[in-house]
Amino acid sequence: MVKLTFDDGATDGMHEQLGSELLQWRQWQLLDSVLPTGGFAHSYGLEAAIQTTFVTNPIDLKSYIVQVLENTGSLLLPFVYCACKSPDIVAWSKLDRLLEATLTNEVSRKASASQGSALLRVAASVYLEVPSLKEMRDKFLGSGSVYFHHAPIFGLICGFLGFDSSTTQRMYMFMAMRDVISAATRLNLVGPLGASVLQHQLALVAEEMMKKWMDRPVDEACQVAPMLDVVQGCHQYLFSRLFCS
Amino acid sequence: MAAPQPLQRKLPPRQVYKSVDSKCSAQFLEARVGRNALLAVIPDPVTCFSTAKYSQMQLFRVHSDSNLVIVDWVTSGRHESGERWEFDLYKSTNHIYLDGDQPLFLDSVLLDKRSGTSIAEQMQEYQVMAMVIISGPKLKDLRCQLQEEVKQMMSRHLRSPNTNTSHHVRSEPRHGPTRPLLIASCSTFGPQALGMVVRIAAVTTESVYMFLRHHLTTLKPFLGASPYCQAGR
Repeated sequence: MVKLTFDDGATDGMHEQLGSELLQWRQWQLLDSVLPTGGFAHSYGLEAAIQTTFVTNPIDLKSYIVQVLENTGSLLLPFVYCACKSPDIVAWSKLDRLLEATLTNEVSRKASASQGSALLRVAASVYLEVPSLKEMRDKFLGSGSVYFHHAPIFGLICGFLGFDSSTTQRMYMFMAMRDVISAATRLNLVGPLGASVLQHQLALVAEEMMKKWMDRPVDEACQVAPMLDVVQGCHQYLFSRLFCS
Repeated sequence: MAAPQPLQRKLPPRQVYKSVDSKCSAQFLEARVGRNALLAVIPDPVTCFSTAKYSQMQLFRVHSDSNLVIVDWVTSGRHESGERWEFDLYKSTNHIYLDGDQPLFLDSVLLDKRSGTSIAEQMQEYQVMAMVIISGPKLKDLRCQLQEEVKQMMSRHLRSPNTNTSHHVRSEPRHGPTRPLLIASCSTFGPQALGMVVRIAAVTTESVYMFLRHHLTTLKPFLGASPYCQAGR
């Protein structure tokens, strides 16, 4: 875990406050869509849901997003939680292999590995105060023994940066909501203003989902939206597509 | 010397009645599949009636040259009587471990009435959810064939004009069914795509029986009979 050290004669209390304030800046940067992690190449199955007519209007969209949020919570939050609460490279590599076997949907499995790799590449370059990130990337890249899945990498990075596991899990849910709503605007299902209204309305639902599924061990990971799984798997059959998944 | 006969066990269809005192019915299966052997688990679907609770866990230990066919499916209840996805809880876990303790496939599906979205709302007009796992070197041809046929079937539907909504947002509800009666997708898993899982949602149980009967008929030489050839008629 990163501990900021200061040599300016100020008190420990003032250092702690500055540390906590800097953590907020880090949090905003991690959640900012400007961070080049390629999240916007993925629609969480929404593109396939539209083409299979599961989602054709804003009411369907809202229901779809709620299902995505709940499934993110049930299937992925345990991996975020376990990676974050004791950030450790050996434990992380086990979580990564477990998630490879747990993501049985090929489309979402590839999306997860792609996003996780991109996130680690960015984090290794940006968070130089955590040399383990660059070391682990150098060690494992190209080895074929890890897959760089997104949820454990995100948890690990947040753990190293000093975020508590609740904040980390909430951030993960936020990113899922942010990305699927962004995909909805690019798929012309809702306009940018409507998307913002929807995101605000769904914040309470996202918080409830997070509270329901947070802090669980990975052997409790399960999927609660099998229909989403079937539909997302159809992404590979789409004739024309905007998104990778 | 005669060829070894397949060992078969036939079980009655699983119907889960309403839960009494909040108790949950549970079933557990553990199997080890030997080298060059084949295990086929090809049951009728589980049907959970209103307020039922059911949980099953199937654990398989295989080698890289073992072969496995697992069909795991559930219907919405007595849907002809209007009972659709009214059970309280259904959980199905399928775990496959390779060469001891290497996780190959860890899947757990939970349908719970306490979810944010009701089961009926999630399933829409679909009354059956099914999963078929096909794994092992002897079944590679079956995997390729099934993958290609599912791709053809789904691509045909996805190219039809009424599914193109890229600049067409309807604010009123759709009129009449425009979705396929059976929707399926395939995903490979494991090193060198050792296995494949097909996920299926369908409006009728019979259509899934037909799908399984058609696609699993190539198992007849292994099993001595074609799966589901007598079922569901």
